[in-house]
This record gives sequence, C-alpha cells and structure tokens, in this order.
Amino acid sequence: MSAEGALLEVSGLKVYFPVEKGIIVRKRVGWVRAVDGVDFQVSRGESLGLVGESGCGKSTTAMAVARLEALTAGKVLFEGRDLAALNPTELRRARKDFQLVFQDPWSSLDPRMRVRDIIAEPMQIFARRGELDLDGAAIEARVASLMESCGLSKSFAERYPHEFSGGQRQRVGIARALALGPKLIIADEPVSALDVSIQSQILNLLKDLQRQFNLTFLFIAHDLAVVEYFCDRIAVMYLGRIVEIASSSQLNHMPLHPYTRALLSAVPLPDPAKERSRKRLILKGDVPSPSIERAGCPFRERCSEAMERCAHEAPRLSPPAPGGSGPAGPGHEVSCFLYQGN
Amino acid sequence: MAITTNVEAILRVEGLVTGFRTGGGLVRAVEEVSFELHRGEILGIVGESGSGKSVTNLSILRLVQCPPGEVSAGRVLYGGKDLLSASEEEVRLVRGRNISMIFQDPLTSLNPVIKVGKQIAEAIRLHHGAKRREADARAVDMLRLIGIPDAERRASDYPHQFSGGMRQRVMIAMALSCDPEILIADEPTTALDVTIQAQILDLIRNLSAQSGTAVILVTHDLGVVAGMCDSVCVMYAGRIVERATVDDLFYDPLHPYTRGLLDSIPRTDSTGKERLYSIPGSPPNLVDLPEACPFQPRCPKAQEACARERPPEVTMAGRAPRTVRCWLHAGEDHHVS
Repeated sequence: MSAEGALLEVSGLKVYFPVEKGIIVRKRVGWVRAVDGVDFQVSRGESLGLVGESGCGKSTTAMAVARLEALTAGKVLFEGRDLAALNPTELRRARKDFQLVFQDPWSSLDPRMRVRDIIAEPMQIFARRGELDLDGAAIEARVASLMESCGLSKSFAERYPHEFSGGQRQRVGIARALALGPKLIIADEPVSALDVSIQSQILNLLKDLQRQFNLTFLFIAHDLAVVEYFCDRIAVMYLGRIVEIASSSQLNHMPLHPYTRALLSAVPLPDPAKERSRKRLILKGDVPSPSIERAGCPFRERCSEAMERCAHEAPRLSPPAPGGSGPAGPGHEVSCFLYQGN
Repeated sequence: MAITTNVEAILRVEGLVTGFRTGGGLVRAVEEVSFELHRGEILGIVGESGSGKSVTNLSILRLVQCPPGEVSAGRVLYGGKDLLSASEEEVRLVRGRNISMIFQDPLTSLNPVIKVGKQIAEAIRLHHGAKRREADARAVDMLRLIGIPDAERRASDYPHQFSGGMRQRVMIAMALSCDPEILIADEPTTALDVTIQAQILDLIRNLSAQSGTAVILVTHDLGVVAGMCDSVCVMYAGRIVERATVDDLFYDPLHPYTRGLLDSIPRTDSTGKERLYSIPGSPPNLVDLPEACPFQPRCPKAQEACARERPPEVTMAGRAPRTVRCWLHAGEDHHVS
C-alpha cells in the first residue's frame, strides 16, 4: 500500500499508564503498557479492523488515535499532519475530520437532549466559532437529511433517547458522528451491545453510509465474524502489539500467527456439522498482565510452537519469508519467528 | 448424543407462564413454555434480550422474586414432583444438589470475602453433610478437575485474585461439586473472551459427556448452540417459537424468526461480502401484547391470520420431537396443543 493513499498513518504508537502506590505520597512503581509500539496505515475509503481480546489495547489504540488518550510515544499522521503535535485549538478544529461511534448507546447520548439537538450540537458548536458555514435553517435541514440517511423517522426528532431501543439509539449516535462530514470514523465496538437481529441492521447501515459519504473506518470489535464481514483489512492485537495484519479473506483462510489461528479456531461457527468436524486449538491459561516488563515474544507462554529464541528476542511485524507455508498475499505481515528467515 | 423419544425425560416443563407486575402493566415474560430434558442432553435456549430465556430458568428453580414476579401457570416435573407446587423446603433440597445453576457474571455470584476453596466446600457440606476436612479436600479436587493450576494453593485465594475465566470455572466447580443431574448455565461465557469461552465450553461438554449431567444452556450466540447443543428451543417474546434438534434447526429452520436470525449473523466461514439479511423493526413491548403472533409485524411471511390470532404450537412429524408456533405450518400439524 502506498503512503500517499493513506488517510491515517500510525507509527510507533505507545500508550503507557502509570501504576502508583502510596496514599499520601504517591510513587510510580511501574507502567501498564496498554499499547506498546503499534504501526498501521488506513487508506481512504478503507475499513481497518482492530481485533483482540480484552486488555489487548485495541480500544486504547483507537482512543489515542483520536487524541482522547495521551500518547506516550509515536506519531499519528492524519492526512500527513501529526495529530500528536497539535495544540488544543488546532486539535479541536482537526476533530471535524474524525469522529467516534461508541459501544454503549445508553451512556453515549445525553438523556436530557432531544434527538435533533444531539445531532445538531456538533454543527452548532463549530458554526458558533465561525468554523462551519451553516446557519440555523441549514443545520436543521442537515439534521433531517442525516436522520433519513441513518434510517430514523422524522417523528423521532423531538423525542428523547430513553424512548428508543438500543438499535435506534445507535443510529442517533451514528448520525451525530456524521454531522460534521468527517473523513474517518472510529467505531469502538459499535454493535457489541446489540442483539443479533439489530446488529445486522446497524452493520448494513454503516456499509451504506460508507459508500454514500466515502468514509474511512477504524473499526474495533472483539467479534471476529463481525470484523471480517465489515472490514477490508484486519490487525490482530495481543498485549499491546499487532501480531498479524492482513486482508480479511487472507486472515480468515490463511492465518499465520499461532495466536490468530487459536483465536479463529475458538470462534464458534453457526453450523453444527462444521462445529463437529473442526479441530479446536484451545489456548492454555490467560493473557498475562501488561504491567510486567517482558523480553521476547508476548505470546510465548501460551504458544504451542514457542522456540528458545522467542524467550529473549521479540519478533517484528514483517512480511512472511517466502517458501514458509504457502503464499502470503500482498500486505500480509506477521510478527512471529516461524515465518522469518535466519 | 442422539435424542430419542423413548428415553424418559428427567425434567419436563409444561405450559409455564411467568409475568411481572410493573407500573406500566403486566409484563408477560414467559408464555406457555413447554419442553423436556433428557439425561446427558445439552439443550440450548436461544433468543434475544427480553425473550424470556433467563426467566424460564429462574421459574424452574422457583427463583423468580414474588412480587413483582409471579409464576401463574404450568408445571415443572422433576423426580415425580411438581416443583412449582412443592414446598419451599423440598425445592431448596433440589436446588444445588440435583439442579445447579451458573450465571453470566461470576464476580457478583461469588462472595468476595470468603476464600474460593471455602465457598466450594460450603456447598459440599450443605448438600452432602460432609465433614469440614472432607469437603475442603473435595473442593481442591474440584478445582483440579476444572483445570485450575496449583489448585491446593489457589483454594485459599479470594475471588478477586482470579481472572474472569477462572472465576467462571470456580462457579462451574461449585455447581458440579454435588454431582447434579441437571446444570442450568445462563449465558456462562457471555462476559468472557473467545479463547476463554472455548475453554469453558469444552469443560462443560466434557463434564456432561463423562457424568451424564443434562445441561440447559442459555445463550444468544447461535455459534455456541451449533457447537454445544443436541437440541434447541428458540424463544421470541416469551414463547418458544421453534423446538428442534440442532441439525434440523440450522439446516431446515421452519419459523421465519429462526430463519431470519440464522441469516443475519455474519459468518467467518462465508466467502462473499454480500449484504447481511436483517429482520426489520425491533422486538415488541411485552406489556399488553395483542392477540396476534408477536413476530407478525416483523415477519416477511405474515398472513392475515397472523394479525388476528396467536398461532398454536404445532408438533411436526419426524423421529425427533419438533414443534413450531407459526400459522405457516398449522396445516401440517400432527396434534395441535
């Protein structure tokens, strides 16, 4: 993938949280390495999925990209501009171009605001500062058109969030995210809180909107089937690092990293015959604590193929060496010594 | 396990009705639910939030708080007794010893200030009258059985020192410590990550196969159902809309809701990126449901009869027990109940 096509380019991203002890005099006793050196790019119009289990740093990565979490190190280039280096005013202006959709449609909407005000608020704030050229009537018209795009009936405009079901609230949250005409949508588990029948409605809506508004997505979810359906490419995270990145179909049909393989084999398939015949790789133990400083590969304790080298040397994310195990497609990168020469 | 009709059911639920009195009116959470469970069988109950899956199980064990809840009709036959009309004392003896239950959230189900081993031992002492030392030893055995490393030492840890997956294992150990005939698992893996979920499901599957424990597995995840269950009840708006063996349900779904549900899941094993099917609208409000099929407003195959009258539960022909509540199949009935 060429760098010119990239809307978002993240390199060397690290987010550490201090671990403190003491009641009166607080002393830092260590760090939680939530995100520990992450690099990826997202092209215009593309959807990149971040998957992994709880605590792997996928949400923290997304929040750091939106500068809602302070970066410990690294660069976040959005259209070539480093978001990490912006001052608060510049950052606020830049936010017009990237908006968030949250997981919980119950807590992410103000219960005392009407739907129309929730969707209009971002536009009003920018218009008041003269950063958006829309007057009251134009904003109202845009709210109506956004509601229509998001499948919300006109009569909902005067109602409050508590009158809606989860799926409808999520639609309101999506309409609000689109209000400023963003280029990038960061969606953090946007369908995880919804029932299956509603989940597919929202996924279809997001796909339609992507086409309609030429949106780029950074899509975070723990459900592999959802990510695979929605995204063009997927990055699998483990303990704050990307262990494998590939196109959705490649990752699904030819996962390389032992963790990706275990993760995929653990996803239950809605097909009894396949479930009976498949071999499951069951991982032992739990994800280790990200606050412990560790050398070597972060996955090695749970890995069935760990070698001596894994204990003292950390593998880097790179294209698999040719001749290993079948052809890897373009852009397929894995962080594992099994696929690296020498 | 193959399901055969000639095997005596160990649990039989007949015409269960449970409602909750609220400020807004009577919420009909469970409406005429009937099913049976056989030895060694894993029965899945699937449905979306509010479909009545959990309330069904709470009703079976008489754990519905009254008021506001009320089990107003039906029978739960276990061991020759109707649990719904049995005395509180009789039900208390069945609960835990014969029928155990595990819940979704293992942290709130464990006492935070009692050591894990003690909590398991307590259940054993209570139900089997075992001596303290015996019970403690058995608790450690149970921890070992469910795959907790270093069980002897971990038995004297507190729940907060365990990870989510390990806590759920502890709940399972507690539930299984009395060798129950029936294990009711209510969304046992919903709060867990997939790799941990695979561990827990594997554990339940093996224990059921080894000891013949029958399992009622409540879940909203059709993938889990496909991999775990022998038979399935699909619930919608408090009713079982379809009951079938797992293969019949996935390969030949009869109810339009079941079909819609199956079509709307994104699959990792599919190749195309075609648009997902989605069921329009959202589930109904359970207060004052009209005298119609509750799925009718969302149903692509709704007919005139659907808006007028509730469909009866139709028993379909075939080897395995199969029922469907839909007017589309009302003509194919063998005996309408």
